[in-house]
Amino acid sequence: MTHTLHRQGSDDLARDYVVLVMGAKGFTREGAAPALRRCLEVILRHHPVNWGDGRTGNTFSRSREEILAGIGDNSVIHGVFTDPDTVARVLADLKELDTGMSVVVSGLFDRVHPCVREAGLEPHTVEFSLGVHGRVERLPADPLVVQIHTMCGHGMVSYGLISHLAGEVAAGRLSADRAAATMAANCHCGVFNPRRAEALISALARRQAVQPSGSGRGTAAP
Amino acid sequence: MLVRDDLCTGCGLCEPYCPVGAIAIADVAFIDQDRCVECAICHRSGVCPVDALEMPELTWPRLVRALFSDPLLAHPGTGVLGRGTEEMKTNDVTGRFRPGQVGVGIELGRPGVGTSFRDVEVMATRLGALGIRFEPENPVTQLMVDDAGHLRPEVLGERALSAIIEFTVPEERLPEVLAAVREAEALVDTVFSLDVIVPDPTRRGEEVARLCREAGFSVRPNGKTNVGLGHRRGGEGGSGPGSAPSAGGAGG
Repeated sequence: MTHTLHRQGSDDLARDYVVLVMGAKGFTREGAAPALRRCLEVILRHHPVNWGDGRTGNTFSRSREEILAGIGDNSVIHGVFTDPDTVARVLADLKELDTGMSVVVSGLFDRVHPCVREAGLEPHTVEFSLGVHGRVERLPADPLVVQIHTMCGHGMVSYGLISHLAGEVAAGRLSADRAAATMAANCHCGVFNPRRAEALISALARRQAVQPSGSGRGTAAP
Repeated sequence: MLVRDDLCTGCGLCEPYCPVGAIAIADVAFIDQDRCVECAICHRSGVCPVDALEMPELTWPRLVRALFSDPLLAHPGTGVLGRGTEEMKTNDVTGRFRPGQVGVGIELGRPGVGTSFRDVEVMATRLGALGIRFEPENPVTQLMVDDAGHLRPEVLGERALSAIIEFTVPEERLPEVLAAVREAEALVDTVFSLDVIVPDPTRRGEEVARLCREAGFSVRPNGKTNVGLGHRRGGEGGSGPGSAPSAGGAGG
């Protein structure tokens, strides 16, 4: 899966980092659960704005105890951070822990790679996003809607939900942080950045207040 | 996903949750079963106040929709949750992508449009014509019936939120591959997100980015970095940036 790739944004990407930890099938996955639990405990020490496990859920949908208890060998652990200095400290602690689990950081390369080197590591492999192609006219016309949506790489935060919540915020029926929490709960793995989402949904709500729109979707898919 | 007509009140709360717009509201909610990709988010969100959404037991080939769309399901062929592939996330251990190679991923349907498996086959066969080897530990590859990229015929009429075609080629073939992707772009009736994986990025990252730009593709400033912490137990392996693992660690 590439669920932490293809996150769209602008300057606010400087406040959007995802740390992922997992084992490799046939190599380090079998018996990995205790190691993954220790890695998650490291992540939690650094106060991520969202975190979770692909097996169980995220901090907006499950309790801390449920997530920790549900860790298994094929868990994929995530923590979302808003500054590169914290990411550097997380990486340093994971390096010291030395569990053998694989660690991936998603974010701006010119911020992430200094973090990696500050932790005494060297980027091993990178994945470039070359963007979206094909029938792009089917995407929502407002880029803010796509920017929010792409924070859940599994597509669980629908364009329709984003536009609906923005309308609720614009009408004063819902706060931006509650809207962000609703969306974050849908992103099962816990890679959704609620801080970015709150700012983006507020901006979207201001636009809707000026110019009410429909679903925000372009031409419907067949 | 089904709606219990005897329970549904037509409140419409579920409608915006569907990522493919399969829910319509009249007197009760109606789910377009052709558009529904069985991602289960409408049910899992808990938004229905009367618990009128019902997940049926899915059988093949309908089940393929859930396997590719429900992030809670581990793909039976790979054991990986979500879209079911480890790709570069564990490359420090698996050596799936080795120096001199690049990985390519084409995720049809993403972001948020969905795809038919017919479109997945269109893209896969265009790339298969180049003689590339699809990644064996990938759910789409495990649907293929031949090396050319043809899929099991019974899945062609099914849909998913997204599906990733994944393969590795020598770095020098990347321009040829990207040209083929451009050609196939005009043939698919959906969107797709494109990525390129680069082992040993300190030495090869700039050159691969240049190849992408020369092929007419912009490289986004944000992406993923495997930091090289993975290694096999007992201190074995522990490859340096982009290098292959020690003996016995076959990629993929």
